[in-house]
Amino acid sequence: MKRLIHIWKHHPLLSTGFALALCLTLYFGIRTVTATMYWADPAHRDQALQSWMTPGYIGHSWKVPREVMDAAIGTLPENKRPTLEVIADQQGISVADLIARIETAIFAYRDAQ
Amino acid sequence: MTEMLLALVPTYGLFIVALSTALSCMALPIPSSLIMLTAGAFVASGDLNGLATFATALSGAILGDQAGYSLGRRGGDYLSRMSQSTGKSARLLARAQGFAAHWGGLGVFLSRWLFSPIGPYMNLVTGAAHMNRATFTLWGVLGEVVWVTIYVGLGYTFGDQIEAVASIAGNFSGVLAAGAVTLGLGLWLRSAIRSEAAKRHA
Repeated sequence: MKRLIHIWKHHPLLSTGFALALCLTLYFGIRTVTATMYWADPAHRDQALQSWMTPGYIGHSWKVPREVMDAAIGTLPENKRPTLEVIADQQGISVADLIARIETAIFAYRDAQ
Repeated sequence: MTEMLLALVPTYGLFIVALSTALSCMALPIPSSLIMLTAGAFVASGDLNGLATFATALSGAILGDQAGYSLGRRGGDYLSRMSQSTGKSARLLARAQGFAAHWGGLGVFLSRWLFSPIGPYMNLVTGAAHMNRATFTLWGVLGEVVWVTIYVGLGYTFGDQIEAVASIAGNFSGVLAAGAVTLGLGLWLRSAIRSEAAKRHA
């Protein structure tokens, strides 16, 4: 301890910087471990449908054919990559309603398999 | 917040990818890793073209690096003009030059991807130290190819788990960067303590 205080007194900037960097490394280390543990839990893996997703993305993520998505969503806007938010806007419904409609279609498809 | 960021990619497409890699290479706090992961996921879902995404992310990164290097070079010249009156910045500049001469290409290469959070500062430091521009560019481009390949590739492969990959990769790259800084400062501190001890014994 005495030696640490001695070092800190003689190199205040350098030793403070070193201590800070060490704390930061530990902080990110702990966060990496907790994030890995969180996502290793299968319950956290099914990606809930969110407004930023495109029909293509949802089809890819939930492994549902394009046709099922197209049938659930209806005619797509001209936009190349419409997000659920854009689609809901155009159809004059809420994102939550659109998500509910897509989920119903996905579960119906999965049940039929 | 994350949702808003993720929506940028399908809404603005490749433009946002180039912009984010370029700005993040200039030390602006842009979550370009997350943007590249997302872009990779949209390649997998068929919303974006893979080759175009890779090329765009890479071009943005290379342009950002070059801008950072130029900025550092100008800043360094300014410092050395000023340093005739103050010795401290001259010493700092000499240290930067020593660092660039010693670590040079390898440092630039590794700070593109393995220690990517310190990459933007490497651009400034190597620019200020007048590292050979061709050497900087060569190692920089090689490093950015690795960086872009890793993140777009991770996004492509784990696109259905984008949030998981983003949080794990983000924290892990924090460990690597902070660990590298800790190691560097630790070695510096050790040599400072040793030279002090040597002085005391002399």
